[in-house]
Amino acid sequence: MSESSASFYRLDERIQRFIWAEGWESLRDAQEAAIPLILDADRDVIVAAATATGKTEAAFLPALTHMLQLKESGLIVYISPLKALINDQFDRFDRLCGQLDIPVWPWHGDVSASIKNRFLSKRSGILLITPESLEAMLCNRGTSVSAIFDRSTFFVVDELHAFIGSERGKQLQSLMHRIERAVGRKVPRIGLSATLGDMNLAAEFLRTGEGASVAIVESRSSGSELKILVKGYEEPLVIRSGDDDEEREPTTPALIATHLFKSLRGSNNLVFPNSRREVERFTHLLNNLCLQQQLPNEFWPHHGSLSKEIRTETEAALKQQSLPATAICTNTLELGIDIGSVKSVAQIGSPPSVARLRQRLGRSGRRKGEPAIFRSYCIEDALGGQASLATELRLETIKTTAMISLLLEGWFEPPATNGAHLSTLVQQMLSVIAQYGGATISRLYTLLCAEKAPFSGVSKEDFIVLVRHLGQNELLMQDSSGVLLHGRVGEKLVNHYTFYAAFVIDEEFRVVASGKTLGTIPISQMLTVGQRILFAGKTWFVEEIDETQKTIYVIRTSGGVPPLFSGSTGRVHTHVRQRMRSLLESNDVPVFLDEVVRRFLAEARQGYTDRNLGHTFFIDQGKVVYILTWLGDAANEAIACLLIQRGFVAIPAGPGVEVQKGKHSTEDVLNALIDAAAVDDPPPLDMLLAEVKNLYREKWDWALPDELLRIAYASLYLDLEEALKWTKQIVAVNPVN
Amino acid sequence: MTITIRTKDRDAVIQSLRAGVVPRTGQHLIQVGRTSEIETLVSDIDRIADDGSAFRVVIGEYGAGKTFFLNLVRAVAMEKKLVVASADLNPDRRLHASGGQARSLYAELMRNLSTRTKPDGGALGGIVEKFIATAKTEAKAAGLSTEAVIRQKLDNLTELVNGYDFADVIAAYCRGFEEGNEQLKSDAVRWLRGEFSTKTDARQALGVRTIVDDAAVYDQLKLLARFVRLAGFSGLLVSLDELVNLYKMANTQARNANYEQILRILNDSLQGTAVGLGFVLGGTPEFLLDTRRGLYSYPALQSRLAQNTFASGGLVDFSGPVVRLSSLTPEDFYVLLQKIGHVYASGDTTKHLLPDQGIYRFMEHCSKRIGDAYFRTPRTTITSFINLLAVLEQNAGVSWQDLVGGIEVVADTGGTIDLIADADENEEFASFKM
Repeated sequence: MSESSASFYRLDERIQRFIWAEGWESLRDAQEAAIPLILDADRDVIVAAATATGKTEAAFLPALTHMLQLKESGLIVYISPLKALINDQFDRFDRLCGQLDIPVWPWHGDVSASIKNRFLSKRSGILLITPESLEAMLCNRGTSVSAIFDRSTFFVVDELHAFIGSERGKQLQSLMHRIERAVGRKVPRIGLSATLGDMNLAAEFLRTGEGASVAIVESRSSGSELKILVKGYEEPLVIRSGDDDEEREPTTPALIATHLFKSLRGSNNLVFPNSRREVERFTHLLNNLCLQQQLPNEFWPHHGSLSKEIRTETEAALKQQSLPATAICTNTLELGIDIGSVKSVAQIGSPPSVARLRQRLGRSGRRKGEPAIFRSYCIEDALGGQASLATELRLETIKTTAMISLLLEGWFEPPATNGAHLSTLVQQMLSVIAQYGGATISRLYTLLCAEKAPFSGVSKEDFIVLVRHLGQNELLMQDSSGVLLHGRVGEKLVNHYTFYAAFVIDEEFRVVASGKTLGTIPISQMLTVGQRILFAGKTWFVEEIDETQKTIYVIRTSGGVPPLFSGSTGRVHTHVRQRMRSLLESNDVPVFLDEVVRRFLAEARQGYTDRNLGHTFFIDQGKVVYILTWLGDAANEAIACLLIQRGFVAIPAGPGVEVQKGKHSTEDVLNALIDAAAVDDPPPLDMLLAEVKNLYREKWDWALPDELLRIAYASLYLDLEEALKWTKQIVAVNPVN
Repeated sequence: MTITIRTKDRDAVIQSLRAGVVPRTGQHLIQVGRTSEIETLVSDIDRIADDGSAFRVVIGEYGAGKTFFLNLVRAVAMEKKLVVASADLNPDRRLHASGGQARSLYAELMRNLSTRTKPDGGALGGIVEKFIATAKTEAKAAGLSTEAVIRQKLDNLTELVNGYDFADVIAAYCRGFEEGNEQLKSDAVRWLRGEFSTKTDARQALGVRTIVDDAAVYDQLKLLARFVRLAGFSGLLVSLDELVNLYKMANTQARNANYEQILRILNDSLQGTAVGLGFVLGGTPEFLLDTRRGLYSYPALQSRLAQNTFASGGLVDFSGPVVRLSSLTPEDFYVLLQKIGHVYASGDTTKHLLPDQGIYRFMEHCSKRIGDAYFRTPRTTITSFINLLAVLEQNAGVSWQDLVGGIEVVADTGGTIDLIADADENEEFASFKM
């Protein structure tokens, strides 16, 4: 160890010996910087660095040193999103902490009761726990919370970047806050994060209301190598007679499956096809290939509609180390269940967002010297016939290329920290009542919504409206002394094992036509009655939307240009769409594209110039007008809402908004748009979102009263500001019509 | 005629009432109405003393005087030579648990064990000593050794569950008593109070292999009832208050397990299998009547605790297990305030601070402020009244007519203890009703 490492000598002797014994030659940058900040346990710290750069040690070496110097044994509460990560950490800590005589306690669903009971009697050492297990502890052992966490010295939150801006993150903030209230003091928090653009967001997340006091340690070490390949496949045109109702099988999936089979066999991988239908399709094809070649099956499906048995089979296949296994999955394997690292990640179709792509890629190449490998498959229909705009401009491919190029530049969507997360508030209210055996409305508000509390943006009036509504829905009830307790429905839900998770995974809409279920489709944009949708290669008209049953009732419609709206799992950011546009306007050809994709790119650029899209912002397509904004989904939804308010059927679709003309002319539509821009004050959410469906996004959204639901939805999914800015700009550039 | 009230009693009563809590002693000074209810409980106590058992659930709204009533019953029981154990339930103390909460209730009951000579709790040691003393006298009278008499008496206990170990512990205490071994004596008392948390400790200290844990609480109480009778007392009365905490429990299974335990206790006492043991439970009407989460949600309890269908429309029946404390009437309340004034003046009629007319005006004033609540849930009204008397006493020149109009009275909110402070900021929430 070099003499210049001041931090090293501040560590406890036994830890120093351990480091020597392990053969580490020097402390990493992040560790040098973090150790002095954490040693005194007097402030919150964030350690931001790439994977496998020693973040965990940066936090734990000083934290353990501090604990060893205390007179009474302390407790470090380490919170991780995944059980598998906890199991890994347990193995890592066991050796070091064994030498220091500090007990390490894993606590999650798979840990035995005897270990949990021993922790409860000892209450010191390191507790490794998930947010859900922590929630269960607060709910079920509410009266002992202050005793259990009495000796807490630190909270360590791992994978902080995965928590920010999500319901789970909100829940985590609330849990830490509630524990601090129960023990009556602030507990220093340490966050371990991947590098984010704006670390202040992370600081504010770690300590609401006091983000400025959080010390940030950032390590800009080089990341590991990334190997990328984007392959293109063209679906040939098939000439059909008349109105063919039979769904024809596309031919490209089989080709893709063959490539996947060749590349992925013999190792562990993840394949993300973007919808349940596609998961089924590719699993089927790959299983057939295994069968044909008389090899044991290595390809396992995983999505939300599969039975628990099948999912458990897949998870077990991935966990065991002896045989290779590849999972074909939706985002259930991002959050829901966890496995170790994989060799490569494959994406069929465009990724849902750059951040998600980064997250998925983070699963491969975790070990030193191993590159992360990424294969992306783009499918486009052949040009000709009545091609939709998406086909003409090869939008899927352009989107994929744009996202990958942004990823390589290190950009990704900034975490959405403005979310109201009222759904999580409902869950936390029920949990607090379980913890304390009842609470007055005043206590609930002070604990959860006061200044510096996690839900501080909620006003007292809104809170009262919420509680009344929950009372009407029998989630809450009031006893004669004014104390709020669980109502009939609330009690049932709280006592169910699914209560502890604050999020739902992978919900898709059912598509029903003439009483027959056609399948499911993931939809993360707003829906409105009367819009058009592309499903199974045909155009449908949405007649009815049932949010609670997550079903849309459609009827076949024909004629006209195929719609752009076909459902998707992610929401696209404005930056991505702007990058798509610049790709179409430039002449560069990124190196990671194969020849087919290069051809797609050339064709798309041709289509762009042919339609003069550099200078127009709308396209008249007969019955519909397509307003090409090149803005993100949030702004497009806002524009669509403004038009819906003025009597049109409008829906965000791809890089713009599709508006049905009905009896009006294109001019009318554009005038309506100008009208919207002319208004100074943005219209109230109640009016804007009145006709819009699919507002239920988070687990407890169904329990919210309408006005709060709209506020919650708009906080995360609607960008009125950007929309109005764009509209005003357009009007300024095109003064007359 | 002036019956002087001792300062000790007066202060106990006045200070507790001002703080909004029930006085531990001196209840007879302010007892008003409720004669039939008291008679019922007194006959229960007589029955317990007579080798019988009793089980009553005392139901009343917040502030209607449940705790006061229970304290009064306790005082009567102690006078009649019963041993009284009382405890309040809270989220950490319940009848049935697997995490130590039942043992915690048992420990609290043991701490509060009271007899006539030791009415403030901590009487357990004294009871064991009395047992030994009684055995000694009997031994002398019969010409046997104390050992033999004690052993014979303890044999009585062994037919109950955990009886052998209980008897062993008492025997250990006796040994300690004989040998002057203070450590052994205190260990024995600790075991009886449920303060041993592991069997190993108990075995090392006393040689017994069991401890009082969650599952053994009720059995232990039955043993204790029999033991106090052997010690010369008439029986054991267990008084549990704040049973509404069971109603508030969030976990359905745990709540039902507790109701199951109440059913067990009820069955034993109604069938007469628990000799010399009486239970009096205090709870709110919701705790009893709510069919979703109250006692009535447990079907067996509902049928046993149901009201007498003939006793409606003014007809009363006090023979069922449920004793409903009706709210005070305004007339009762008037008498109560008179008595409080009397106590305040230490029983000296010449020193009364407020004439009857003044009391009447005060009641009028409260009625205007908070309506009916002033006599139905009189806790806060009483506090205001005592504040009024205090001011009158200490400020000689002031007349009550001036003050009565300006007294602050607020309605009783059920007295829930706020674990989290600063509720004052949220006035919008203070009167929130769903």
